[in-house]
Amino acid sequence: MRIGIDIGGTHTDAVLIDGTRLVAAAKAPTLPDNLLASITGVLEAILAGQDPRRVRTLNLSTTLSTNAIVTGAIEPVGVLVVGGPGISPETYRIGDHYHLLPGSLDHLGNETLALDSEELDRAVDACLAAGVRSFAVAGKFSPRNPAHENTISERLKDRAEFVSTGHLVSGQLNFGRRIHTAYYNSAVWRTFRAFSAALGRSLKGFDLEAEVNILKADGGTMPLARALDTPVQSIFSGPAASVMGILATVPADTDALMLDIGGTTTDIALFADGQPLLEREGISIEERPTLVRAVHVESIGIGGDSQITVDNGTVRTGPQRLGPCLAAGGSTVALMDACNLLGLAEFGDTDRSRAGIDTLAAAHGLDSRELAQAAVDAAVAAIADRIEAMVARVNAKPVYTIHEILHDRLIAPQQVLVIGGPAAVFRDPLARRLGLPAVVPPLAGVANAVGAALTRTTSHLTLTADTSRNRVSVPMLGVYRTVKRGYTLDTAIDEARTLLAEDLERSGAAVPADQIQITQADAFNMVEGGYTLGANIRVVAQVQPAVIARLDADTSTARLAGPV
Amino acid sequence: MLKAASTLGVIFFPAFDWAISRTHPEREERLLYTQDQFREEGLFDIDGISEHRPLFATDTDILRAHFCFPSVDAICTESHRVSAGGAIQAARLVMENETRRAFALVRPPGHHAMKVVHGNRGFCNINIEAVMIEWIREHYGRKRIAIVDTDCHHGDGTQDIYWHDPDVLFISLHQDGRTLYPGSGFPNENGGPRALGRTVNIPLPPRTSDAGYLHAIEQVVLPILADFQPDLVINSAGQDNHYSDPITNMQFSAQGYARLNELLKPDIAVLEGGYSIKGALPYVNLGICLAMAGCDYSAVREPDYNQAALAENAETMDYIRALSEEILEGYFNPEPGDFEKKGDWFIRERKIYYDTDGILEQQRERLKDCDQCRGLRLINTSSSRILPCLGVELPIDCCPACEREGYEAFHNTHDDYLVAQLLDQKNKRFEYRPQK
Repeated sequence: MRIGIDIGGTHTDAVLIDGTRLVAAAKAPTLPDNLLASITGVLEAILAGQDPRRVRTLNLSTTLSTNAIVTGAIEPVGVLVVGGPGISPETYRIGDHYHLLPGSLDHLGNETLALDSEELDRAVDACLAAGVRSFAVAGKFSPRNPAHENTISERLKDRAEFVSTGHLVSGQLNFGRRIHTAYYNSAVWRTFRAFSAALGRSLKGFDLEAEVNILKADGGTMPLARALDTPVQSIFSGPAASVMGILATVPADTDALMLDIGGTTTDIALFADGQPLLEREGISIEERPTLVRAVHVESIGIGGDSQITVDNGTVRTGPQRLGPCLAAGGSTVALMDACNLLGLAEFGDTDRSRAGIDTLAAAHGLDSRELAQAAVDAAVAAIADRIEAMVARVNAKPVYTIHEILHDRLIAPQQVLVIGGPAAVFRDPLARRLGLPAVVPPLAGVANAVGAALTRTTSHLTLTADTSRNRVSVPMLGVYRTVKRGYTLDTAIDEARTLLAEDLERSGAAVPADQIQITQADAFNMVEGGYTLGANIRVVAQVQPAVIARLDADTSTARLAGPV
Repeated sequence: MLKAASTLGVIFFPAFDWAISRTHPEREERLLYTQDQFREEGLFDIDGISEHRPLFATDTDILRAHFCFPSVDAICTESHRVSAGGAIQAARLVMENETRRAFALVRPPGHHAMKVVHGNRGFCNINIEAVMIEWIREHYGRKRIAIVDTDCHHGDGTQDIYWHDPDVLFISLHQDGRTLYPGSGFPNENGGPRALGRTVNIPLPPRTSDAGYLHAIEQVVLPILADFQPDLVINSAGQDNHYSDPITNMQFSAQGYARLNELLKPDIAVLEGGYSIKGALPYVNLGICLAMAGCDYSAVREPDYNQAALAENAETMDYIRALSEEILEGYFNPEPGDFEKKGDWFIRERKIYYDTDGILEQQRERLKDCDQCRGLRLINTSSSRILPCLGVELPIDCCPACEREGYEAFHNTHDDYLVAQLLDQKNKRFEYRPQK
């Protein structure tokens, strides 16, 4: 059996799943100051009458790291940066202990200026004197040559409690994002470690011996032990969990859209052949771009509580929200009130909705029903426009080969999957406006927890080889070694597969070899003075997010335990 | 985070699956290290700098700019259509105000491709700037356009295409033709009889550094642009003036290139040559992008940059000062060329060698000396590969008499030519004559 827990901003959901059958589900309020109590509450509910030793896997999606950053409950980080020429590393200054160290590498990883050892010592001393114990280390082009970063990490070994080293956090090129990613990783490390320890104690109390995984923003999981090294990967896993929940509850192996309609916003995600689309490079945290792989989700300010206004006879919905809708006891006329008036919904105090709309309509000389209809139309139109723009943008993404220009398949959604509180209300109007069938999956209320329970471990690595210099590098695994002249693209692909499989096995999450995908495999003939010197090889291998099982179609009849 | 002072769209298209041959300078690897540099610097994370994919140039797009013999498909592959499509995308972004400026960082290049095309010259099959300019004029009407060609080789193809067009100012700065391919681009090449002074050539001595090059920009190019008042400025942006380029002899730097673009403020830049793919392109391209976007580029520097070694030699500087004065004077008071004339027609007879493909073309151009319009142009061309073909060009302001005469030539000379192509700027007809 598998347990999925999603600790969201307001609710904590949990499900217990046996094979393809939902055995139990529970919902409890999230207590931001005591997440463990929220977890304990839902676990008690779903495990009532069950044998906890049958649970093999417990997957947890938590807002812990996100909240720590949003509320500023993070620890100071010593950021040690080796920049060099190009865009100034001052651009990426973050935190109160940001130190630029002289030294530089070029795009091939050649050292063009040695790391200044004295400056390094001075920076470390300054950080330690200020009480800093957690560090982030990042150098420009470090994935090509980790020497400077390794020197710094070595220097910190016995003096820091935690160090995030850039090339180990991501093998992708992007200096600014590498700095931000390493910084946030070190900033949330202590919070995450404390949570992990408490979680372990709590699970023992339940007699649970399941392997514990943490949800990542890309919709996959990582083993808890890995999460202790890279807690930043757990950021924004909530939307990813709901995307995976959709995949676990409805058959979606075509191009599709997911809409998660909430009180304030609607989140939109895209599936290509049933696979959620990821951000090209990584998600942004506090508007700072990072290298954290994440499901691409766009938000629009339309939700059940979006305020309805009338401006010169034009009815507008959102993007602002001034508290709950009238039906829920609020004080502004909102989208949900219009739905109540039109009979699309029967939510809360429908009399308050009616009275509020009547008053607003009268003030502008409009008919109440017309105003309500215009408000719903405006909301649906705004969502549809955003969807069209998003699909167009995804289809216009840059490509780098003539083959892709000529043969790239464009994404064309075939259906819309709608979840969230007002999902049922908007299903038909959205279907009409988009000209696509719209489906509200069963169990939409606990989709996040279902997605968490049924998703699998994901991982990726980047391998770069330069056979003219007999070098191969796999930054995230810290692999930098020499190779023979005959190293080819095929050898590189095999090596990437093997290394990724071995690494997953080491982390306790073995994945069958055929699940490893090669997403890039290029070999460039390197020429100098008219002669071929070798090949520049680039390979990316990944295990992409996927659910391990789809719930039975009759899952909605399962017994729901606890305060759902 | 950084923010662009003026928005920039970059069409980055390295054509990672196309090469002239495995070890040719125009090979897959050419923009690989530029891409690495862009990614590591986070160029597209800068607020206001965006990345776009190329469009795909159609037959009509190409026939607006060229006479392609015997057919478009015989001349250009998909790679050329994508490269030209990249330039068109750059123009579209700017003309539609989606971005203030655009840089088509695409390959293969185009500035050695002339009006008539039989094959590949100097790594170029079709002239991607010309295809772009004709696309602009087709969709946005008649424009005054200035092309500043900063490739180290004379832009002889672009010069040829706009030789008779007074709406297009072509300025080429290049290493002196006495020392480098294609061996042309002297100050006396200053435009056809109807576009005198609209072609400006600035041949710079070998080993010219930043100071000399930028002197020519400030003292010649900028005053001419101020006088011409173009609607659009296009930089034909070759990167082979760089001190590390393997096939040229100049001493320009990434800082120089960035400053050049800061001064020139091109609306659109299109990549041309530049084959120091590891030592120059990553830095030059970064410098150009930052300068075009109005971002700080002061710390962009090649790892082996040595300011003292690259300082301008005093003698070279004196030469460039004198040359600059002479060329500026020549723009304002252009010396008429030695135009041959027979009856009402200006005649040009040339042999053109296509070095990459080893083709020798023989060409006879006739331009009508018409007092009602710019004049009908008829080009007879044959090569070591194909029988004579005919190109008929009607200018945008074509008068009824030239129009009639042009269509007669197009339709009634079946026996004389293998293929005939019409390029009617006035009525927007770009087509081959149907085979008999």
